[in-house]
Amino acid sequence: MDTLKYILKRILQTIPLLIIVSVVSFFIIRLSPVDPLAELKLNPSISPETVEKERARLGLDKPIIVQYGKWAISFVKGDLGVTSTGEKVSSKLAERIPNTLLLTSIVILLTWLVGVPLGILAAVRWKTPFDRIMTVVTSIGMAIPSFFFAVLLLMFAVRTGWFPIGGLTSAGYADMNIFGKFWDITHHLILPVFVLFTISLAGLQRQMRANMLDVLDSDYVKFARAKGLSENVVIYKHALRNAVNPMITLLGFEFAGLLSGAALTEYVFQYPGLGRLILEAVMKSDINLVMASLMMGAVMLILGNLIADILLIITDPRIRTGA
Amino acid sequence: MTRRGYWVLFFGLVIAALLCKACIVRDVPPKAGQNTNAKQQSATAAYTMPKNVTLNGIEYLQSQAPVGKFGGTLVSSTIGEGPKTFNPFNCKDNTSSIMSGIMYDGLLTTNPTTGDVAPKLAKAYSISPDGKVYTIYLRKGAKWSDGKPITADDVVFTWNNIIFAGYGDTSTRDSLVIDGKLPSVRKYGDYIVVFAITRPYAPFLRMLSTPIAPKHIFAPAVKKGKEYFDSFLSTTAKPKDFVVSGAFKLKEYVPAQRVVFERNPNYYEINSKNEKLPYLDKLVYLIVGDLNNEVLKFEAKELDVISLQGSKVARYKAMEPKSDFKLYNLGPDTGTMYLSLNLNTRKDSKGKYYVEPIKQKWFNDLNFRRAVDYAIDRKNMVLNIANGIGAPLFTPESLNSIYLNKKLKPYNKDLNNAKILLKKSGFTLKDGKLFDKDGHRVEFNLYTNAGNTEREAIGVMIKQDLEDLGMKVNFKPIEFNSLVNKLVSTFDWDMVIMGLTGSPLEPNGGKNVWLSDGRLHMFNMRTPQEGKAGILPWEKQLDEMFTKGALATKFEDRKPYYDKYQEIVYTQKPMIYIYSPIRIVAIRNKFKNIYPSSLGGLTHNIEEIYEESNKK
Repeated sequence: MDTLKYILKRILQTIPLLIIVSVVSFFIIRLSPVDPLAELKLNPSISPETVEKERARLGLDKPIIVQYGKWAISFVKGDLGVTSTGEKVSSKLAERIPNTLLLTSIVILLTWLVGVPLGILAAVRWKTPFDRIMTVVTSIGMAIPSFFFAVLLLMFAVRTGWFPIGGLTSAGYADMNIFGKFWDITHHLILPVFVLFTISLAGLQRQMRANMLDVLDSDYVKFARAKGLSENVVIYKHALRNAVNPMITLLGFEFAGLLSGAALTEYVFQYPGLGRLILEAVMKSDINLVMASLMMGAVMLILGNLIADILLIITDPRIRTGA
Repeated sequence: MTRRGYWVLFFGLVIAALLCKACIVRDVPPKAGQNTNAKQQSATAAYTMPKNVTLNGIEYLQSQAPVGKFGGTLVSSTIGEGPKTFNPFNCKDNTSSIMSGIMYDGLLTTNPTTGDVAPKLAKAYSISPDGKVYTIYLRKGAKWSDGKPITADDVVFTWNNIIFAGYGDTSTRDSLVIDGKLPSVRKYGDYIVVFAITRPYAPFLRMLSTPIAPKHIFAPAVKKGKEYFDSFLSTTAKPKDFVVSGAFKLKEYVPAQRVVFERNPNYYEINSKNEKLPYLDKLVYLIVGDLNNEVLKFEAKELDVISLQGSKVARYKAMEPKSDFKLYNLGPDTGTMYLSLNLNTRKDSKGKYYVEPIKQKWFNDLNFRRAVDYAIDRKNMVLNIANGIGAPLFTPESLNSIYLNKKLKPYNKDLNNAKILLKKSGFTLKDGKLFDKDGHRVEFNLYTNAGNTEREAIGVMIKQDLEDLGMKVNFKPIEFNSLVNKLVSTFDWDMVIMGLTGSPLEPNGGKNVWLSDGRLHMFNMRTPQEGKAGILPWEKQLDEMFTKGALATKFEDRKPYYDKYQEIVYTQKPMIYIYSPIRIVAIRNKFKNIYPSSLGGLTHNIEEIYEESNKK
C-alpha cells in the first residue's frame, strides 16, 4: 500500500516538471532567430502567397503565448500536431521509434549480459592479467568518441566490403524471404551495435567492478571468509547482492536512453531512427516534432527513474523501511 | 606498475594500433593533372530526341537511341530527408519535385541539348501568331498505368480544377494571373486542348511541362477540399494508389532509407524494335543524410551514380581507369554564387535605419562596389576552393543559360584599378587602413550560412582580398535560417555570400530577385508596404526589362531584354557574381545509352538507359 502511495506521489510530482520542461523548451526554440520558413522564402519559384499561407498554417502569425497555449491544449488531448511539412507527428515518430528501439534494446541487452559478468570477474580476479587487459580495453572504449569510432568502422566497411554502409535494410529488401530479411537486418545492425556496445560496455564493466571491489573489501565479506564459507557463496550470495544496488539506478538511466541514447551513432550510420529525424527537426525549428521528442525524452527519463526506484524498493529492504 | 602491467599495456596498444591501421584510408593520390581534367570528358555522342510514330492506331514516342536490354536496376541517391510528398502539385522542395516528376509527365518537356521545348505527353503543340492561344494535341492511345486512356479531360481537369482552383502549391497559378485573369483551358474532342491567355506571356509555354494528373484518381481528392488535398498522395500513401503517366511508378517508400520505383508497363515510349520502354525494371533512390555518406556508398558500390564535389574529382579521376565507373563533365552548374551588398537606405517602422547611414554611403557608391569587384580574385577561388572544377562568373545568368549575354567580358583581379576607383570617391588609405572622406574607418560585416564549407571558404578569401584594399571585414558565418531571416525580414546586414539556383531556360524565374518589389530583391529589399519606394534609375530599367521580356514570345525578341538586364547588373554591381562550379558526375560503366547534357543532367533519358550485363 505504501509503495502504491509512493508511486502515485511520484507521478503527481512529474506534472509540474513536465510543464516547466515544455515551457522552457518551447520558448527557447521559438525565440531563437531560426525562421522555419527560410527555405521557402529563398526559393525563387515559390510565390509570396504560398509563404503567407504556410505562415498561417503553422500559426507563426500569432504571439508565442498563443502558440504555446494551442500546442499545450492539443498535447494534453493527445494530439501531437503536424510537422512543418504537414505530416502527422505521431505517425512520423511511429515510423522511427521501432527502429531506434530495436537498436538500443539489443545494445542494452548485450552490454548487461556481457558487462556485468565481466565486471564481477575482473573484481574477483583483481590485479591479474585478465583484470589488466580488461582495464586497457575498457579505457579505450571509454576514451573513443562514438561518432569517431563509427566513422572508422564505416571506412573499414568500405575497404573490406564486408558490411553495408549504414541504413537498416538493403534496396532489395522487399523481395526477400523471411530468412533473407532477418539476415539483412542483422547484417546492417552489426556495426552500429558494435559501436554502441563497446562504448557502453566500458562504463558498465568499470562500474560493476568498482562496486564489487568496494563490497569485497568490506568487513562482512572478510567475516564471511573467516567463517570458512566457500568463495562462491561469499561472492555470489553475500557480495553480489550488495554490489548490484547502484546498477539498478543505472538501469533507470538506460531506460531513458532507449529512445535518445544513440543519436550520434544513428546519424553517422544513416540509421533510420529518431536521432536523425529530431536533429533535422531542430535545424529547421519544426516545433511540433521537436516538442514531441523533447517531451518523450522527459517522460522516459522520469519513468526510468521511477522504475529504478521501485526496483530498489523491492531489492533493498533498507530503502523499503525508509520510504 | 609491475613489469607484467607494462606488457599488458604494450599489447593493448599494439592491438589498438592494428585496429586503427585496418581502418586508415590509403592516402589520396598526388594531385597530378588537377586542373586539366575538367575540360576533357565533355558530352560524347549527340543525343537525338525521341520521335512520334503511329503503331496499330496508337501514337507512341519512339526512342532513337540504340536498342538495349530489358531488366536491371539503377541506384541513385538524394541527399537530405527524402521526399515530403509524391503529389506533384504539393511539392515545395527539390527532392519531392524530382520524385513526383519521375511518375507524372508534363505535356511538354525540354530538349536536353538545345533547350528547346519538345513534346512529351502531348504529341505536338502550336502557338497562334498573336501569342495568345496555345493548342495542344494529345497522343491517341496513350494510357495511365492502370490502363485508362490519357485524354483532354485529364488536362482540363488538372489546369482548371487543381492548378487554377488553388490546390496545393499555388505558385504556378499566382504567376499566371495576368491583368487579374487566369488563362482559359478548353477541350475540343478527346485529344485537343486549347489554352487562351489575355496577353502574350512567354514563360507560359514552359509552364506546360507541369505534370498532368489522372482525373479519375484526383477528382475525388479535390472534392474533399484543399486541406485533404494537402495530404493527398503524401509519403504515407500506399504505392498501389498511384496511377501514373511517367516511365516509373512508386513501388516502395521506406522513410529515411529509400524510394523504389518500378517500370510502368503502359508507358507510351517504345524503342526502335517497337518494344515498350523503359528498359530498367527498377529505379532506386537511396536517402542519404550527407555528402560524405553518399561518397562512401558509391565507393562501396551501393550507388550507381554520384555527383562529385570539386575536391573529390581529382581522386576519382585517378581511380577511373582501374574502376567500373566513368566520369562525365556536365559543364557549369545552374547555380550561381554571389557577393551581395545591402543598398537599402530606408528606415524600419521604428524609424531606425536598416543599414547605418555611414555604410549606406559606401554601398550606394558605384565606385566602391566596383572596387570591391576588382579586388576579388575569382580565378584563385576557382583554383583553390573548387579545385579548378569551376568557371569564373560575371553575370546573373548561369553559364549554361541559353540567355547568357556573351558580350559581357570577364576580367581579372586588378587592385590598382580598385584603388583608383576608391580614391575617386574620396576614400583614403592610411597605414594600410581605408577611411572614407568623412574620416570613418571602412569596416563591415560579411555573412554567409554556416556549414556550407564552400561559401565559408569563399568568405575567407573575399575577406583577404578586401583587406588588401584596407577594408576591415568581419566575416560571420551564421545559421542558414537566421541568415535568411536577416535577408528577407530584418534587412540588418552589410554584405552576404549566397547562392541561388536559376533556370538556364527561363530567365523570368529571376523576377523575384530583380524586380524592385520582388520577394528576393535582397540587395535593396522593400517591404510590401513600401512598394517601390526609393527606386534607383537602374532598378527601374531592370523592372522594365523583366516586364517586357515576359511579354515577348519569341526567343529572338526576348533575348535583347535579358541581355540588357545582365548588362545592368554587370555595370551596377549590386550583386557581384563569383563562380559557377562545374558538375562532374560518375556512373557505372554497365549502364548504356548515357547522353549527358548540361541542361538535362545525366539521367534525363532514364527510360532509354539500360544495364548491359543484367541477369535477366
